[in-house]
Amino acid sequence: MENNALNVKLSVEELKYSINTKVIVDGVSLDVEEGSFVGLVGPNGCGKSTLLKNIYRVYTPSRGAVYIDGKSVLEMSNKESALEMSVMQQENNVEFDMNVFDMVMLGRFAHQKMFHNDMHAEGEIVRAALREVGMEGYEERSFLSLSGGEKQRTLVARALVQQAQLIILDEPTNHLDIGYQYQIMNILKSQDVTVFSSVHDLNIAACYCDKIILMKKGRIYDVGTPEEMFVPSKIKDLFGVDTQISINSVTGKPNVIFMPDVRF
Amino acid sequence: MEKEKTPLFPLNKKSHYLIFCLLMVVILFFAFITATTLGSVDLREESIGKVIINEIAGREVYEPDWEESTAIILWTIRIPRILTAFIVGAGLTLCGILMQVLTKNPLADPYVLGISHGASAGAVSVIMYGYLSFLGGYGTMVGAFAGAVLSIMMALKIATIRNKVTATQLVLAGIAVSALFSAITNFMIYHTKTGSDKVKTATYWMMGSLSGASWEKLKYATIAFVVCFLLIMLLTKQLDVLLLGDDVASTVGVNTDKLKLAIIIIATLLTGIIVSISGTIGFVGLTIPHITRSIVGTKHKWLVPASMLVGGTFLVIADILSRVLVAPEELPIGVVSAFFGAPFFLYLIRKSNSKLGG
Repeated sequence: MENNALNVKLSVEELKYSINTKVIVDGVSLDVEEGSFVGLVGPNGCGKSTLLKNIYRVYTPSRGAVYIDGKSVLEMSNKESALEMSVMQQENNVEFDMNVFDMVMLGRFAHQKMFHNDMHAEGEIVRAALREVGMEGYEERSFLSLSGGEKQRTLVARALVQQAQLIILDEPTNHLDIGYQYQIMNILKSQDVTVFSSVHDLNIAACYCDKIILMKKGRIYDVGTPEEMFVPSKIKDLFGVDTQISINSVTGKPNVIFMPDVRF
Repeated sequence: MEKEKTPLFPLNKKSHYLIFCLLMVVILFFAFITATTLGSVDLREESIGKVIINEIAGREVYEPDWEESTAIILWTIRIPRILTAFIVGAGLTLCGILMQVLTKNPLADPYVLGISHGASAGAVSVIMYGYLSFLGGYGTMVGAFAGAVLSIMMALKIATIRNKVTATQLVLAGIAVSALFSAITNFMIYHTKTGSDKVKTATYWMMGSLSGASWEKLKYATIAFVVCFLLIMLLTKQLDVLLLGDDVASTVGVNTDKLKLAIIIIATLLTGIIVSISGTIGFVGLTIPHITRSIVGTKHKWLVPASMLVGGTFLVIADILSRVLVAPEELPIGVVSAFFGAPFFLYLIRKSNSKLGG
């Protein structure tokens, strides 16, 4: 392992998931290197979210395996896997209100014992995470009264206090306006962790990801750097849209400009 | 940042919370005293304490200056009834909280999985057809409990898809099971001569009553309640996390399948036992958690003990009203709890809406 420049943090082997006879994920294998930011890109219904849910154990694979640092995820308890990976999903509807501090504190569950916790230290971890995502001073605010961006930043803080080395993002920035999307990605990029994220916006993927995994119809379509993956032929093949791709003179990353087939 | 900084819940300090609980204990104490003095035979307050102390001590600590019948009424009828009211109120509230967490729905009550209709069907069938008569007064209780367990097993069976139980499926299954069992109950009542004593007993049972309370029944219910309460207090942190949804809870480190199974078992057993001694008393399990939550917040470590006090006290007071409002007749306690609780609940909903500017 030592001679490898990059250790593999997350590894998926021949993962297959089907509901009744319908195959949703069809033999996917992939590696996420330690410290990298890997994006999962593909059209709606290609199995991205299902694949991620198999990784973070909401679904159980029909076949295949998922390893974190070489340990099989399926053999871990929920608490053990929570210490290895934290997950951020789209904001889900919670019917019960609580304040932002308590909401973030729930992310500490796997670290806490049933009795006798150092709540002062725990509180410090929560406050530090809130500072990190720019939510300082919101501790006592009602979570349900927050704006979409504030909620999402709170959930980022909750994922951070879990202090796992791997963060899985399942469509983290949907429904957010563009400013918040970049803000959240910036926060995550600045963390010293491995990130595996599904991304909808190709320009955001190009900007933040070290590696792109393209998915189509439950299978891996191609894997490579953003420059290698975001070329007109592949995007046309995946999404059915023509594109012009240039290099952004400021970021040095590919810029995807869509040229839809619109007749006026 | 310049938005108002009022705390989300009125009681966000531990000292405030303790004062609130203390206040509830004081109210409970006065409700208890009132409940012992009121009724068909009036008792003097001074005697009450003396009778209780004499009974507990098992000897005459105080020289009896009261009639023998007074002591019997107080000790064998009123006091078990008051304590039963408290346990039933607290127990239904606990089950309500559990069902609300399980379904992630603040509108769930202990009966959401069809348990009350199942229990009713069981109890009514025993009343109507008289089997289990060898169990004497416990026949109805056993019938109700059996019905409760049967209904919940059916609901769970229906709601399980690919070895997973989802909240929506559970609620829908509960509706179906409720409908089925209430049809069975109505059929049994319809089939028996109207106006017969059996129909009256059955109807009365279905509206909830504490008139059959005894030390024996109270003992079972109390043991069940205390065990369930302590178990739930060990799980409060997990319950907090489960509010976020099953997916999130499992990624944060909770074994949701195990936790949900524990919740279902605890809530079923406790509701079954409570329903079997008191009939179906609606409203308590739905609204008391809601009301208490709006005061002390969502954290179960605080919510569960406080709402036990509120729910128990509420039912002790409701039982007083059920005995005095149409004295010497008695109103079913379910009628009282809904009649006085519903408007109060509506008031709270309106108030919290206006606070949010809605």
